[in-house]
Amino acid sequence: MKLRHAMTGAIYTNRPDGRVDVELDGKTGVFETTGEYVSGELRQADPHMLDWMRDSQPVPNRRTGNMGVGAAEAAGPAGVALPQLGTSTRTEGRKGHMDLGLNGRKVLVTAATRGIGLSIAQHFADEGCDVALCARGEGGIETATKDLEARGAKVFARAVDVADGGAFKQFVADAADALGGLDIFVSNASGGAGPGEKAWQASFDVDMMGAVRGVDAALPSLEASDAGSVIFISSTAALEYLGVPQAYNAMKAALIAHAGDMSQALAPKGVRVNVISPGPVYFEGGNWEMIKQAMPAMYEGALAQCAIGRMGAPEEIARAVVFLASPAASLITGANLVCDGGFTKRMPF
Amino acid sequence: MAIEPLIEIEAGQGPRSSGVTYQDLLDAETREVPEVLRMQAARETPVVRVPIDRYTSQEFHDLEVEKVWKKVWQFACREEQIPEPGDHTVYDIANLSILVLRDESGEIRAHHNVCLHRGRALKDFDGNSSDLRCPFHGWTWNLDGSLKEIPCRWDFPDVDQDDYALPPVKVALWGGFVFINLDPDCEPFENHIGDLGKHFERWPLEKRYTEAHVAKLLRCNWKVAQEAFMEAYHVVGTHPQILAGIGDANTQYDAWDTFSRAMTPNMTPSPHLTEEPTEQEMINSMLSVSLDEGPMFNVPEDMTARQMLGQMTRMQLQAQVPSVQELTDAELADSFYYTLFPNFHPWGAYNKIVYRFRPYKNKPNECIMEVLFLSPFRGRRPPAAKVKWIDFDAPWSDAIPEFGSLAKVFSQDAYNIPHVQKGLEAAQHTHVTFANYQETKIRHFHTLLEKYLQA
Repeated sequence: MKLRHAMTGAIYTNRPDGRVDVELDGKTGVFETTGEYVSGELRQADPHMLDWMRDSQPVPNRRTGNMGVGAAEAAGPAGVALPQLGTSTRTEGRKGHMDLGLNGRKVLVTAATRGIGLSIAQHFADEGCDVALCARGEGGIETATKDLEARGAKVFARAVDVADGGAFKQFVADAADALGGLDIFVSNASGGAGPGEKAWQASFDVDMMGAVRGVDAALPSLEASDAGSVIFISSTAALEYLGVPQAYNAMKAALIAHAGDMSQALAPKGVRVNVISPGPVYFEGGNWEMIKQAMPAMYEGALAQCAIGRMGAPEEIARAVVFLASPAASLITGANLVCDGGFTKRMPF
Repeated sequence: MAIEPLIEIEAGQGPRSSGVTYQDLLDAETREVPEVLRMQAARETPVVRVPIDRYTSQEFHDLEVEKVWKKVWQFACREEQIPEPGDHTVYDIANLSILVLRDESGEIRAHHNVCLHRGRALKDFDGNSSDLRCPFHGWTWNLDGSLKEIPCRWDFPDVDQDDYALPPVKVALWGGFVFINLDPDCEPFENHIGDLGKHFERWPLEKRYTEAHVAKLLRCNWKVAQEAFMEAYHVVGTHPQILAGIGDANTQYDAWDTFSRAMTPNMTPSPHLTEEPTEQEMINSMLSVSLDEGPMFNVPEDMTARQMLGQMTRMQLQAQVPSVQELTDAELADSFYYTLFPNFHPWGAYNKIVYRFRPYKNKPNECIMEVLFLSPFRGRRPPAAKVKWIDFDAPWSDAIPEFGSLAKVFSQDAYNIPHVQKGLEAAQHTHVTFANYQETKIRHFHTLLEKYLQA
């Protein structure tokens, strides 16, 4: 961080040792952030600027990794009341500190400019990770990049259609180059639900092959990492009948099978493979908002199935992904973690 | 030592800073400007100097307890802190303790938090209970204050059931806040709140929820802390990193009967600067963008920084505030900070801040500064955030998760505070001096304080 004092014109720059360089009219001095002079020709600095510089330490000191929900997020994106973390009234001084070991990790998330994908990328960024992301639209890329950069992450982003195998594999390779490796690959892109053969092709090209090609392209980097990890985003549509036979449901089921295969195949190489299966997740501009307006009966029906009385929020999926992908989950591989608030009714053997 | 007016100045007569006036800035709005922003107080506050021992002496603190805290309407808690019957919260002020609760009928009541047997505080913490049972010997009251049970009732032949109801504390509700008054003969709350409700008609505080609530302990008199947040005069000295984008000395100050207001324009350059910053530099300064990094947001060519900040805030608020498109850029970009005597500081428009300052325990040189973020919401009201305490020696920046870079601004303010107290205690001169215009709110506070002391 480098700032100019608006009145004196002095330039304040953070030093790696936690002190601050101050430069004015060709003279320089070094100061503690508490205000004391340390060394140099310049002997006077503004204590308020120094205080500000202390609180504006560059990455990674500032990014301590703390998956507690910030208060700003607690209301949920659509004003849905979510349980708040970090608000326990237990005895002072007994805060949990389960370090997820994510600080400085490199993560690639597909389709990460909105909804669940964006929330996953944000949570990784907040844990101190650098993030590569892709999406089809150019516009979303820019806002997501700014958002993640504001959280202190180095970001590599490109507008790519995951269905375009060549371009997608190139993107994964370029992302690993740009970030200096990849520790975590999250396959989140989906061709979506719909009828007919076109939907079967889209589901195969995006949901299935996006995962297959992504792992393929990322594997050299994941193997080189000491904490390589893959997450496929599936769906509870793979687990229980939703009322309409669809390509989406079948392809999400195929992802679970493929993850199981890959978890065995890649375990000797030190790479874990797991699946997250979200139930209905509600967010602004998401499918369930659309369904709520267009097909209120279907929305109400799905809501009634949610045992906890509400649908999920993207950050509730993202927190599960971040944990499962992190070194903190080092023993878990080949698992399918269902995050659905009790939407599915099967027995969870 | 009493305070007396030194000079009386008629409204609008005193000198003002160079640069635009706040009313000039409103003339540039493209939307209809609400009357509340056009209002200017009809008279100015007399110039007074305040004896230094009002900030340092135990005697004066004790006088404040008797004459102010035991007599004045004061903000105790938010209604949503006690949503269910039996929910209670402990409000401590100096050496006094008040229990604010919701009774079985849903009505909010307050009692002195003291057992009528041998005086133990009835509740140590916030919580929920179906009655009020003293932990010492088990004397128990109903939530409405009536005496419920005395263990070994036979042993208290002189205790009359009705005489031993908990003495009630007066309660009033406004804007989702619970106010209490310890004086059974106090003036009606309506007199105290005055026209403040009219000022907040467009920005209803009852339709907010407590998104964050942080309490910081500070080593200074509560008035020293409070007065650091009642003027923009300190910005040039204390917050030099934001000067490019704040019209600090162009702030408009007004004082009415029991409350005062400041309106500080943002995204207009400080008149202290010798070079005019660009629109982009104003935004960069607000976001404290590092000189060796690119801007976080680019100001489009056909927009001013002020319009852009207005637009960005509108986008953030649109999901929760249906009327957001009617709000002026001023309401979305500027800082409107009110003070209701003695210590309640709600911010206007959709700036979420509410401050409260009060003595810590019974000491003249320690205090609690609290910041609440009151946010609009859609649908069901989210639960109120629990209070997070920051100790004397921990920095305000511990509240970055709650308040973002605002916590760093508080840190800069708090940096001065113990040094002010130290200086006041060391002072050999007798009075502190206030600016005629920019410290209007502080002088108005002291004028009201004097009124309470003389009553």
